[in-house]
Amino acid sequence: MTQRKSSNKRHNTVGWILNSPYLIYTIIFFLLPLGWALVLSMMDWNLMSPDQTFVGLQNFTDLFKDARVQAAFINSYRYLIPIVLLCFTFGLIIAILVSKLPNKIKGFVAVLFFIPYLTSGVATSVVVKYFFNYNSIFNIFLRETFGLNINWLTDERYAFWVMVGIVAWKMSGYYALFILSGLENIDGDIHEAAALDGSQGLHKLFHITIPMLMPTLTTVLVLATGLAFGIFTEPFLLTGGGPNMSTTTWQLEIYNASFTRFDSGYGAAMAIANAIQIFVTLRIINYFTDKLNKKFGY
Amino acid sequence: MKKQSKTSLIIVSLLVLILLVISLFPFYYMVVQSVMPWDTVDKQLFPTEFTFRSYEHLLNQGGGTNRSMWLRALGNSLLVSIPTAIISVMCGLWVGYSVTKLRNFSGKRIILNSLLFQMFFPTIILLVPRYMIARPLANTYSGMIIPLAISVWANYMYINYFKTIPDALIEAAEIEGAGHFRIIRTIAFPIAKSVTTIVFLSIFMQRWGELMWDMLVAPSVDMQTLNVLISTQFKPMGAFPGPMYAASVILTIPIIVLFLMFSKYFKEGISFMLK
Repeated sequence: MTQRKSSNKRHNTVGWILNSPYLIYTIIFFLLPLGWALVLSMMDWNLMSPDQTFVGLQNFTDLFKDARVQAAFINSYRYLIPIVLLCFTFGLIIAILVSKLPNKIKGFVAVLFFIPYLTSGVATSVVVKYFFNYNSIFNIFLRETFGLNINWLTDERYAFWVMVGIVAWKMSGYYALFILSGLENIDGDIHEAAALDGSQGLHKLFHITIPMLMPTLTTVLVLATGLAFGIFTEPFLLTGGGPNMSTTTWQLEIYNASFTRFDSGYGAAMAIANAIQIFVTLRIINYFTDKLNKKFGY
Repeated sequence: MKKQSKTSLIIVSLLVLILLVISLFPFYYMVVQSVMPWDTVDKQLFPTEFTFRSYEHLLNQGGGTNRSMWLRALGNSLLVSIPTAIISVMCGLWVGYSVTKLRNFSGKRIILNSLLFQMFFPTIILLVPRYMIARPLANTYSGMIIPLAISVWANYMYINYFKTIPDALIEAAEIEGAGHFRIIRTIAFPIAKSVTTIVFLSIFMQRWGELMWDMLVAPSVDMQTLNVLISTQFKPMGAFPGPMYAASVILTIPIIVLFLMFSKYFKEGISFMLK
């Protein structure tokens, strides 16, 4: 009994000591900024001056009239949908192909597909900017062979798709690794049973493989959503959100409001609006994936 | 295992090869352009001549108090990313161990709930206040390291890992009178080697690729990371493409080499991420 008690006490002391770095960090860099952000969102303040004016909900009502905020709001979904579809499709294709390779090289090939994920957005932006430059070999080729003269990064019709392409290129191999891991957890018996029933090819893909992968695909969907809402580096370096706000994102607009226009209170209000949108979107996605998962018996 | 026919294996390999070429082409392009003579940069896909002029240019381009601001920036990136990864690993190890292996620890609930809340919390809300809090540390390494040092994801990785380790292993050591710090050092840390590798590399990579925070908190020439330096040099249209490609190669290749070296741990790591 006494021994139990002393172990209790020791566990508690050790536990709190081991968690103290995390807890202190959480208080200083999470809870404190969180409270501060809420206060800040109701202030008119330029980040430097000692005067802060309380403006109540003015910042939030201003959001509704701001074309940049509207663009960021709509762009979140414009990014989300093609990015999720492309990452899903390519991730699944890569995973299925790699899973059919001999075991010896499977792991290594999967890691090769993972390499784009490791690249810093800055390096990617450098390559993309020069590769799509007016005088690059690629554009010269397009002009001389097809007579196409495309301003990839300054034409509204293309700049957005260049951004989507960069993200899909970067993330597909990463998600493929998740899907591959899910594929390998599917029991071999199921494949045999499917083969006995004569289920093959696309029929097997849609009726057996994808349903069996539902939990993995749900994870991927949630991760990709977070990703689509967090795009910053590529539009920041390549388009500045333009042309005509077609590539802008929340992160970029919040950064610009807070640190370029020094309208920090407004930036904080924007960030809160963004968080609400993310939260609601994730709830909606959760609702539908839950239904789907239930349908397939998870 | 089901037998595969030879033709289907050839088709699969061919498709894999095509996809690999697409996904690795930008790296090929980047490396090749970085060693081209300056007048043919972006003009050829297959170089006919090689030169290291772009790299020499980086070595000699001064700025701030240094002969080469690029070397300095590379050093800054390392000096920020390595400590960040070490702190994340240590903190993750401690949190993971205490939450799963200290049966009688009363703070378990609070920690787990706090982690869950932070996991799905959009950190963009915290940007401006975090910047305000870190402003006294502007242009210092601590200002770049500490505010981004702890990773909720890393904590989860360790929690999920230690859940799979039998308690008996720890209890046996406890009964023999070993303190928890010693158990962590001699038992928990060594057995969690694969998780540690993954967490260290992932956090290192994330921190290495961070742009926004470093731009805000460390804008001075002496403190710029490689990421920030490339983007400030490259944003005004005037930069020479060759050195930009060379800098991108330096930014990218170390990470790829590191990951390829430790790739065998990755399969295991992914299965923990899915839990």
